[in-house]
Amino acid sequence: MDTATLDFLGSVLRIATPLLFGAMGSILSERAGVFAVGLEGMMLAGAFGAALLTFMTGNAAAGVAGSMVAGALVAMVVALVTVRLGADQMVTGLAVNVLAAGATSFLVWWVLRHTGAGSLRVTMLAPWPVPGLANIPVLGPLLFRQPPLTYLALLMIVPLHGFLEGTRWGLTLRAVGENPAAAFSVGANPNVFRGAAVIAGGAIAGLGGAVLVLQQVGTFTDAMTSGRGFLALAAIIVGRWRPWGAFVACLVFGAAEALHLRLQMTGLPVSSYVMQMLPYLIALLVLAGLGRSVKLPAALGSYIGPRA
Amino acid sequence: MSASPSAAVPAMPSASLPPAQRYAFLRSRRDLLLACALGLAAVAALIVFSGNDPGRAAHAFLAGAFGSFDRISVALNKATPYILCGTGVALCFRAGIVNIGGEGQIALGGLGAATCAMLFPVANPLLAVLSCLLAGVAFGALWATVAAVLHLTRRINEVIVTLLMNFVAVLLVQWIVQDYIGETGAGFPQTALMPPAYWLPKFTADNDLHLGILLAVAACVLAHLYLWHTQWGFGLRVLGASRQAARYAGLSVFRGTVVVMGVAGSLAGLAGSVEVLGLHYRLIAGFSQGFGFNAVAIALLAGRQPLAILPAGLFLGFLEAGALAMQREVGSPSSLVSMIEGLTMLFALVIAGRASRQAGS
Repeated sequence: MDTATLDFLGSVLRIATPLLFGAMGSILSERAGVFAVGLEGMMLAGAFGAALLTFMTGNAAAGVAGSMVAGALVAMVVALVTVRLGADQMVTGLAVNVLAAGATSFLVWWVLRHTGAGSLRVTMLAPWPVPGLANIPVLGPLLFRQPPLTYLALLMIVPLHGFLEGTRWGLTLRAVGENPAAAFSVGANPNVFRGAAVIAGGAIAGLGGAVLVLQQVGTFTDAMTSGRGFLALAAIIVGRWRPWGAFVACLVFGAAEALHLRLQMTGLPVSSYVMQMLPYLIALLVLAGLGRSVKLPAALGSYIGPRA
Repeated sequence: MSASPSAAVPAMPSASLPPAQRYAFLRSRRDLLLACALGLAAVAALIVFSGNDPGRAAHAFLAGAFGSFDRISVALNKATPYILCGTGVALCFRAGIVNIGGEGQIALGGLGAATCAMLFPVANPLLAVLSCLLAGVAFGALWATVAAVLHLTRRINEVIVTLLMNFVAVLLVQWIVQDYIGETGAGFPQTALMPPAYWLPKFTADNDLHLGILLAVAACVLAHLYLWHTQWGFGLRVLGASRQAARYAGLSVFRGTVVVMGVAGSLAGLAGSVEVLGLHYRLIAGFSQGFGFNAVAIALLAGRQPLAILPAGLFLGFLEAGALAMQREVGSPSSLVSMIEGLTMLFALVIAGRASRQAGS
């Protein structure tokens, strides 16, 4: 494999990593029956949390923790307003995105004003070569010479799949998303599961923001997620709400964007706007083509009253 | 658990509500005013907390929103597309459709107006403006209808369809402007300035307020009459109450949904062409950013009542105009507007959710 191909695969992985966290977080939420339209806001909050805590402590590990807390905080708002208070999930997601964009931008302004710093610039996470494996000719640099959060993103798919498909809690969570009454009848409180799934999903999505700050950009800028949350939502549609499916979709979207970056450099006559449109068109085609057979969690978007 | 609606007892919306109930929103608006007030209060607290002099900030806000006829014009022009698009979204809500596709439909409307002006040049100002407005309406309606048909025939959740189609529409317009109809050397995807014949007329020569606000008021009033005083409006409300009930009553769910989405798309398309012809005099890529969200926000703030869309849209228009001035005068960050919008909307959502749960139980 020549270096150009290797470069290309490297950028696919780089672009797909934040999407993966977003997709895995939103799978948890949507399989439990809560639309994750607020994903963009959770990822953006995660980016802010990562930048702020790393900036304040100088420790990237604190930043990673901060991203999870910030993502979870936004998710708590979603859980409170939708699961507890019964507001429309989709529109709540949109509102949370706007609120998160405003709040992060405001807080950055406030922090900078009070510290006198010019920006929330942080040192990025260095790659962690895996001893031994990192020296394998082709796969080494691609898969085993990556920054830590990339490993985490790739490794997370297996336990998430295992949790959803193979554990009692995972089964209950899926039941809550498909048929809350059935879950209730076996003694589970659907709303507790939904709330927990949304908040855990928010923490995972927050890590996607941490990837942007700590592995790719090195600072927080307003609205820096720039639609990646929605791209991740398209990925879970294409992946039909399954971790492995969403993983493949994230890689495909990553490849589309990497290709688009490459085309821009060589100047091929395909508009970058068309390339950016592809993920959403694919998602629409998947939904339209599979139509009736798409397995949307049956109770997605529904409200469960306090006494079920 | 939401009680599964049994076919035997369809929850019929009150067909001929007595006027007291039809205008009940005037009383229930108290709650939504509360939502606006809470949103504003939260941000006022933030201004104090951030160390700005609240008195100066408030003065800058009020002067910026209401200080002069020019300032009021800015706010009214800002409110116009929100009101137009929000009216359509409110009608969709009434029919049980959550249409968050405003952003894409507005973008297509702008594209329709701009391409019409380029393809069919006319000198007569009346003809020029009317043809462009109609083209915008047609483009918006078409885009919304595609979403409705995908939703109905492929059974895709309408929110997902309209959300995905927003991205496609905005990128499609950027692509067309960039590669086909854009001004060369502009450095940004936008079309060339239109000839003045295409500009939407203004009320007075030395002020920017254009006729769009009249269209917005007309849309609200017509939508109110349609929803509450016609047979079609009744059918639409039945559809929103229960699709099963609508079928049982012999109404076509397909036609009803396509029609209401078409109407909403037309209004959004009109909003897009009004922006192009009245404000920018050109098509600027991405001009509709955030409009779809604002339309949904005011439809909810208005409690899905077409007439109440007017004050809700004006609230947002004056809010944005005032916040812009506040940013200029006292240096408060522009993010305050997003925070007010987001918070107000969350409060409104909670109130709307509570109301619908009470109605359902």
